[in-house]
Amino acid sequence: MNKNLDMRVNVLPALTYNFLHVNDSKIKEDSVGIDFLATPDAENVPEGVTVDRGVSYKEAGKLFEDAKERINVDLGIPGDPNGDTSGRDKAQAIRTGMGIDIENLMLESGALTDVFTVNEGVKTQKPIIIRYNLADGAGSLTSQIIHAKKDSEVTVIMDYTSERNASGFHGISTRLLAEEGAKINLVKTQTLGDGFIHFDDIGGACFNKGAINIVSLELGAKKSWNGCYINLCEEETQFVSNQGYLVRDSHTMDINYVADQRGKKTDVLMNVKGVLMDKAVKTYRGTLDFKSGSSGSVGDEQEDTLLLSPDVVNRSMPLILCQEEDVEGRHGATIGQLGEDLLFYINSRGIDEKEAKRLMVRAKLDSVARLIPDPEIAEKVQYYISTIV
Amino acid sequence: MSDNKQAVVEIDRSAYDFKDVENEKDFYRLKEGLNEETVLKVSEEKNDPEWMREFRLKCLKLYNEMDMPDWGPSVEGLDMDKISSYVRHKEDMKGSWEDVPEDIKNTFERLGIPQAERESLAGVGAQYDSELVYHNVKDEVAAQGVIYTDIESALRTEYADMIKSHFMKLLTPTDHKMMALHGAVWSGGSFVYVPKGVKVDIPLQSYFRLNAAGAGQFEHTLIIVDEGADLHFIEGCSAPKYNVANLHSGCVELYVGKNARLRYSTIENWSKNMYNLNSKRAIVEENGIMEWVSGSFGSHTSYLYPMTILKGDHSKMEFTGITFAGKGQNLDTGAKVVHQGVGTTSVINSKSISKDGGIGTYRSSVVIQSSAKKAKASVSCDSLMLDSISRADTIPGMDIRTDDADVGHEAKIGRISDEAVFYLMSRGLSEEDAKAMIVSGFANPVSKELPLEYAVEMNNLIKLEMGGH
Amino acid sequence: MSEQSLLKVKDLSVAIDGELPILHKINLDIKPGETHVLMGPNGAGKSTLGYTLMGNPHYCVTEGNILFEGQDITELSADKRAKAGMFLSFQNPYEVPGISLSSFIRNASHAQTGEPIKLLAYKKALKSSMEVLSMDEEYADRDLNVGFSGGEKKKSEILQLLMLNPKLAILDETDSGLDVDAVRTVSKGIMEYQKKKDGALLIITHSTRILESLHVDYTHVLVKGKLVHTGDASLVDEINKSGFERFVSESDAE
Repeated sequence: MNKNLDMRVNVLPALTYNFLHVNDSKIKEDSVGIDFLATPDAENVPEGVTVDRGVSYKEAGKLFEDAKERINVDLGIPGDPNGDTSGRDKAQAIRTGMGIDIENLMLESGALTDVFTVNEGVKTQKPIIIRYNLADGAGSLTSQIIHAKKDSEVTVIMDYTSERNASGFHGISTRLLAEEGAKINLVKTQTLGDGFIHFDDIGGACFNKGAINIVSLELGAKKSWNGCYINLCEEETQFVSNQGYLVRDSHTMDINYVADQRGKKTDVLMNVKGVLMDKAVKTYRGTLDFKSGSSGSVGDEQEDTLLLSPDVVNRSMPLILCQEEDVEGRHGATIGQLGEDLLFYINSRGIDEKEAKRLMVRAKLDSVARLIPDPEIAEKVQYYISTIV
Repeated sequence: MSDNKQAVVEIDRSAYDFKDVENEKDFYRLKEGLNEETVLKVSEEKNDPEWMREFRLKCLKLYNEMDMPDWGPSVEGLDMDKISSYVRHKEDMKGSWEDVPEDIKNTFERLGIPQAERESLAGVGAQYDSELVYHNVKDEVAAQGVIYTDIESALRTEYADMIKSHFMKLLTPTDHKMMALHGAVWSGGSFVYVPKGVKVDIPLQSYFRLNAAGAGQFEHTLIIVDEGADLHFIEGCSAPKYNVANLHSGCVELYVGKNARLRYSTIENWSKNMYNLNSKRAIVEENGIMEWVSGSFGSHTSYLYPMTILKGDHSKMEFTGITFAGKGQNLDTGAKVVHQGVGTTSVINSKSISKDGGIGTYRSSVVIQSSAKKAKASVSCDSLMLDSISRADTIPGMDIRTDDADVGHEAKIGRISDEAVFYLMSRGLSEEDAKAMIVSGFANPVSKELPLEYAVEMNNLIKLEMGGH
Repeated sequence: MSEQSLLKVKDLSVAIDGELPILHKINLDIKPGETHVLMGPNGAGKSTLGYTLMGNPHYCVTEGNILFEGQDITELSADKRAKAGMFLSFQNPYEVPGISLSSFIRNASHAQTGEPIKLLAYKKALKSSMEVLSMDEEYADRDLNVGFSGGEKKKSEILQLLMLNPKLAILDETDSGLDVDAVRTVSKGIMEYQKKKDGALLIITHSTRILESLHVDYTHVLVKGKLVHTGDASLVDEINKSGFERFVSESDAE
């Protein structure tokens, strides 16, 4: 199947000045070949986890459709920020970071969803691993749902890789539901070839004391989009994300992460560490949205970007939206070269500037890579990093 | 107790909110609506030179072609067909306070303007509705060659060319719809020129009063601070409250020369029926310094983001601002900066407070162009939520195009800590006073940048908004 | 004394980013194996001297020069000075997430010697140095200085000193903010360095606690950016008793 893509994705939750070109991103590609619509076999699926393979996107989405009122619960006074865009994705079974255009693409293309259901109380020991080894010229569009029932815990690693010089198209939709007291750990590593177009769209919801923990490393592909929208709709829910990225050559990376905090005492931590080289262009949008009723919630977002070339473009949009008095929100960003003082410290140990930079790039990405709970994949990713820097 | 409080609030509010006895026969009022006829009428009133009339018509055309931005607060309540673009007293502007018409004089007396001039200002301008009613510069300041006058008069002097080459060149009618509107119907405002090397020790001030209901104020402020010169300019705004919408769309263009410094302070307390869609922009040459101090308390709806272009190498900008969004207010404020020169520095410090259903949005952009090697930018914005029916949103943007830059951003949102209130109450303060004190402390970084009497005024405004006394 | 100087500082004046000078015409001569102490009240410019000797680009040498083993190093970058055999222990060491203490030291050793590091021997040496400093072994795998307490950060600096084994170590306020036990442990590390090699030391401090168990050859007093007095170890005791007042008033009298 060949498709012309013309999608508006990663829409900022509250729009701002158009001249910044951050309000959204466009995926516009002509005649993209798509041959794979099914998720590869998962490894290490333990007892207590059932896998329904090849369910239609819509059918699989019923899980969220049925819980829609619970997920989008309105706990307080309605009221939108200036430039609000939330209406756009209202039709989604569950909101995702990239938005409705991705859902429509999945539906139109007939993408199949693998549904992983973790039974009540089951805590898996070893991570489930889904490997995408994509051939040159491959086009794939696949979807998963991870549904962790009450008090269960599961870790899923999704590794997307190809030869360094390979081209192709790769689109992923991963939807998550962590029920009462359940925890989903989702790890995504992307080392696709330099000709790949890649997107990864995540939407998730946590019920009472549920938690979602995402680790993501984006290292390859010439054009890459990441979106993630997590609904913390009930009390004491938690969302932790650790992202690392490396963008080089003339590659582009476009990110939209949103924590929708509705429940009381929700807890969000978003860490993003990135390195831009050559003529890389990156846009990061990170939003903490404290909705009315989210009293006692905290949110913390930290973005560190290391710029290593005079030709990079770095755009950052850290939003805090707030409609609740009793919350604590913070965002910090540091963007630039290696700090002079830090550089002096490393220099004073006999390491020259070039080596110091190399060391710091690796340190930045390794601090995310080491969160990968599979030694073999972690090592592979670290090796990939070392070959670039 | 509560009766007493009520009384205090009313008295305080009356400092700004009093209405003058309308004596309509003394005022000329252009009929409502915006079209070629009304624009030409303004032009005729202003006795425009030919180029200005053409410019106005061009702006009107642009206005009709442009849309309001899709990201800001709603302006649905603003109907241009119900706004009169031009209102003036039938008497002309005066250079002497005694000659200002009695009713207008009373208004400014009640706002304390002439007293402030006598005590601490180098010069004062006072605009009432669409026209300046009074303009005066102290003799010793004028002797230094400092020009402070209305633009219309200056257009008939040796400064005409200077004005023509700067007027709406920094903020152009194509920037956005409100600037096109401004270009079409602008009236009043000030022209300030500080010659090379002249340092004006005490501030110049303009005070804007929009008194007529259903009117727009479109004053234009053009300030040129030449090489090595130094100026502090203060702007104050107020209006009585009406049930119909009023519109303020001023345009402030600031040129800061090499090694020059300009501080521009604003305390804005428009009434809460005002749409304050105001634009300010500064361009700074080598080693120049632009400082903004901005307090936004009034208005129903605000769009306000003073912008600085750091063109010259090693030029600097500092923005210190506070916004207090109370009941019925949607204040969308912040700052914009573009780094072009080498070694340029910007510091943005913003505070915002939301209360009683008010919507406070901090919006900013920091752009570092690839030419701005060794640029440094730091943004810090704190928001304080005083209840759970209000909103406080932080929407900052950064666009960095060189690795040789150092950008830091820190945003925080939170509430008044119960412990802090308890601590102050344990020292004998009432809960209300304790909270007002904490909010004043929160605003302190801004108030300490203001001249004393304005800091006092700002603190009074905070107390008033806090409902304390 | 015919012995060759290790570090020779000649008429050194220093300013920060072109502002007023902080140090005025400093002269110092440190020979291999010697231990020098630099004392002085707060704000005298002691740390400035340490940073300048190590080549922090923030500090500009406006006059004079610095010779190390006879070579003029005034213009050299910090990494080149380190390779030449200098070391600075920082008062506030940086936190570097993502790189472990162990791998940082390994990287630094490799950068300095250019030789491949033999992993087993390296691990053994690291372990024994950590033992001297009573450091828990798990610190080796923790990120450099990240989440370390004040005392642990200072130990991490001394550990790097022991592992990198420089010819001259400059210790900047290594004892500040430490409790009695930690001072003792850090002193033990410094003694280990003194005995291991013909290593010279310049100890910058405003207190005398760390010096109690160390052998000292010379004591210098820095007041308001000038070296006002040089004496032997007994000067330490004198300062311990009566403080810097005498030197401050002497310098005022000038």
